[in-house]
Amino acid sequence: MNPIRLIAADEWRLMRRNRVAMLGLVMLLALSVIAALTSIAQRDNSDAIRARFQAQADQAFDGAPARHPHRMVHYGHFVFRPLPALAAFDPGVDAFTGNTIYLEGHRQNSANFGDVRQSSLLVRFGQLTPAFVLQALAPLILIFIGFGIVARERERGTIRQLFAHGVAPRALLFGKALGLGGIAALMLAPGVLALGWLIAFEGAPLAPSLTLLAGYAAYLGIWVLLIVIASSLAAHARTALMALIGIWAFTVILLPRIAPDVALATNPTLTRLETDIAIKEDLRKMGDSHNPDDPYFNAFKQRTLKQYGVEKVEDLPVNYRGLLAVEGEKLTSKLFDDYADRQFAAQKAQSRFTDTVGLLSPAIALRRLSMSAAGTDLEGHRRFLSQAEGYRFAIVQQLNQLQATAITYDDDSNRNKDPEAGRRVRIDPKNWQKVPDFRYQAAATGEKLQAALPGMLTLLGWLVVLGFGMRLAIRRLADAA
Amino acid sequence: MTGLWRHELRLFLRQRLALPALALMALLSIASVWAGMAEIERQRDTIARIQPQQAADVAAIAKWVSVEGDAGNAAYYTFHATWDEPSALAFAAIGQRDVAPYILRIRALGLEAQLYESENYNAELALPGRFDWAFVLTYLAPLFVIVLLHDLKSGEREAGRIGLLAAMARNQQALWRRRIGLRIGGLLAALLIPFLIGAALSGASPGLALIFIVVAAAYILFWAMLCLWVGSRGWSSVTNAATLAASWLVLTLILPALGNLAINSVVPVRQGVELTLEQREKVHGGWDKPKQETMQAFFKAYPEWKDTKPVEGGFHWKWYYAFQHLGDLAAAPQAKAYREGLEARDRWTGRFGFALPAVGLQTILHRTARTDLNAGLIYQDRIRSYHKQLRRFYYPYVFNEVPFREADFVKAPQWEHR
Repeated sequence: MNPIRLIAADEWRLMRRNRVAMLGLVMLLALSVIAALTSIAQRDNSDAIRARFQAQADQAFDGAPARHPHRMVHYGHFVFRPLPALAAFDPGVDAFTGNTIYLEGHRQNSANFGDVRQSSLLVRFGQLTPAFVLQALAPLILIFIGFGIVARERERGTIRQLFAHGVAPRALLFGKALGLGGIAALMLAPGVLALGWLIAFEGAPLAPSLTLLAGYAAYLGIWVLLIVIASSLAAHARTALMALIGIWAFTVILLPRIAPDVALATNPTLTRLETDIAIKEDLRKMGDSHNPDDPYFNAFKQRTLKQYGVEKVEDLPVNYRGLLAVEGEKLTSKLFDDYADRQFAAQKAQSRFTDTVGLLSPAIALRRLSMSAAGTDLEGHRRFLSQAEGYRFAIVQQLNQLQATAITYDDDSNRNKDPEAGRRVRIDPKNWQKVPDFRYQAAATGEKLQAALPGMLTLLGWLVVLGFGMRLAIRRLADAA
Repeated sequence: MTGLWRHELRLFLRQRLALPALALMALLSIASVWAGMAEIERQRDTIARIQPQQAADVAAIAKWVSVEGDAGNAAYYTFHATWDEPSALAFAAIGQRDVAPYILRIRALGLEAQLYESENYNAELALPGRFDWAFVLTYLAPLFVIVLLHDLKSGEREAGRIGLLAAMARNQQALWRRRIGLRIGGLLAALLIPFLIGAALSGASPGLALIFIVVAAAYILFWAMLCLWVGSRGWSSVTNAATLAASWLVLTLILPALGNLAINSVVPVRQGVELTLEQREKVHGGWDKPKQETMQAFFKAYPEWKDTKPVEGGFHWKWYYAFQHLGDLAAAPQAKAYREGLEARDRWTGRFGFALPAVGLQTILHRTARTDLNAGLIYQDRIRSYHKQLRRFYYPYVFNEVPFREADFVKAPQWEHR
């Protein structure tokens, strides 16, 4: 057997006898299993509830009675964001974003009922998911198990015996790394099983799942190397322990919290209230539909009359009120898109900043990779918001078109005075069934992988740097020997 | 006596980890206070910034609505701003203020469709939690306690000085008390002085600041006791450090996360979505129901408008606002159940706080700073009562068909700034 494997096997034999190490490992594995089971159950449950609510909303819309189409514009629709299968591994921002939006004419509502606002502050301690266990807890347990892996040998003087027996410093360190890497692989096992389950039974996409696996493996690999290097360079096991806990606290707990503060301060975004007011203000400037002499809507009227070659709106073959509704919605929707684009751009800049900080923290880089591959990052939520807005615009315009074509201008104008006209403007409810249902299009695999790439590159960069660190540690050991 | 203390201080500061640890603790405390104050300042600025924008928006609506003077239009198109001022201590424990809206515009239509709106925030930034003083105290300070105390006795034993110390000290108990006192005192000073400066600058009431100080001291003391207890087992420094760090992991990360899992499965809340679906059906069903039926149901809640002119024709604002309100009444049971679910979750968290120091600490800090889930619910209560004022303000115009003029816009009830 080659010396590296021998050293690793020896390390495993020792660890089996180390009660503290075994306790830590068993605890982590138990947590991983609990996290995987509850996370999968919770994902399935949430997704089923959302699907049920979506079906209920679709049914309510299709089953609405005969109404004026503009009533249906205000009745609106609800859409729910489905939860991807991989959210069972890393729910990402799901709890922090609302998962349902009420869509109606003239207005853009927010996505509501995110879990965070429905939970006590306990949720801010972190949610127990496979991602959280592997990102935050596994490195710390690895530190407890491995901080003395080389330093202990030196403190007891056994390292000299090893060298005397002809073990090269290189073989020693790589053997130790292999030994600790085996433990890390064991820690990853429940996560691998969970991913396997998600692929086999819940339709999780293969390539993003493998990317997740590779990312977490690289991340734990980084910690294994860090621990071996620190344990090798430190004078005492205790110094190594302190230094490693310090690095962990800094990169896993502290930096991920500081980076958002800086990002928010440097890239402020408008609140909903300000956006709302700004859109209304812009709208008034573009054209005021309440003003009978408004230049914009007068020009629209002249254009329409000319197009149909008639003198008065009463003579139009279509209902002018419907056309006005179509035009008005076009204006507001354009503004909604503009402001949303600006908001997303600012948020993207904020996230880019934290990604840059992620160069210093493998945990931040891994989180980016993990959320992107799982499809639970902010981009996933943005997709939902913009698809929901697209859908809102489409159904509102479909209903406005119905108002223009299925109802006469005369009836529409007299619907509140003449009961007969009032009856005629309530059109056949079969029209509601012709409105398509909302289908959320998740990001394609290629897009997910591309979004995960920067995180992956950062992790690989760390591995390369730590490779040099290993060389340094080996040289130091060789000098000492 | 002071000589002994000064001597211990010199010894303590000469230790390799002591001064850097205290300096780092002070630095983190200062940074968190600064970051928290900056965030709360930003929130106050936002609240101040929206006032003129809001006034301009109302003025623009008043301009065209007052031409016809239709009160129904005034109530329909005018949004009224509400906001939840941060308390003076919010800077130290930002809590849910980064994910729950602290400004919201409402109008006199059905409230249940407006009350649960969210803010536009970057969820990726909210995910890891804010860097505030409560975070430094809850998560980081215990690690510093561990660094300073894990080798108090074992370090001396490993250096071979323990026997010497026992022989030399006139009073062994006093010696250890001095050493512990210095370390914990230094740490508390590093933590609390920046907080006190922040509290003074924010104009916090001394009584509430005192609550912060007392619970912070108690929390640090808990960790100190734990360190001393582990230290008294006679293990090596390195075993002490590993045991204590593992306890930290279990007490501040693992058990709270398990607790959250347990609470969410014991108290599921999905009435939020149910109530909005229900409210929409009721409100829009109003258009299809006989008007008299709607009006009779409304008069049960507001008999004072029973004798006003009956609704005729296809549309009247009275009828419109009547079924808006009936939608809220129909959703009231779910709204109540939803709220009770949230309160139950909050209550369970409080119970966990008795067993888990980190949870207990966070509960007290955020309750005192009024930044917890409960504070959000209180804000919702204030919005509810303001909404009622608004409706009561518009109803006389709508039901008595009184013209609504430009001067009437300023008569609308204003949100009370706390």
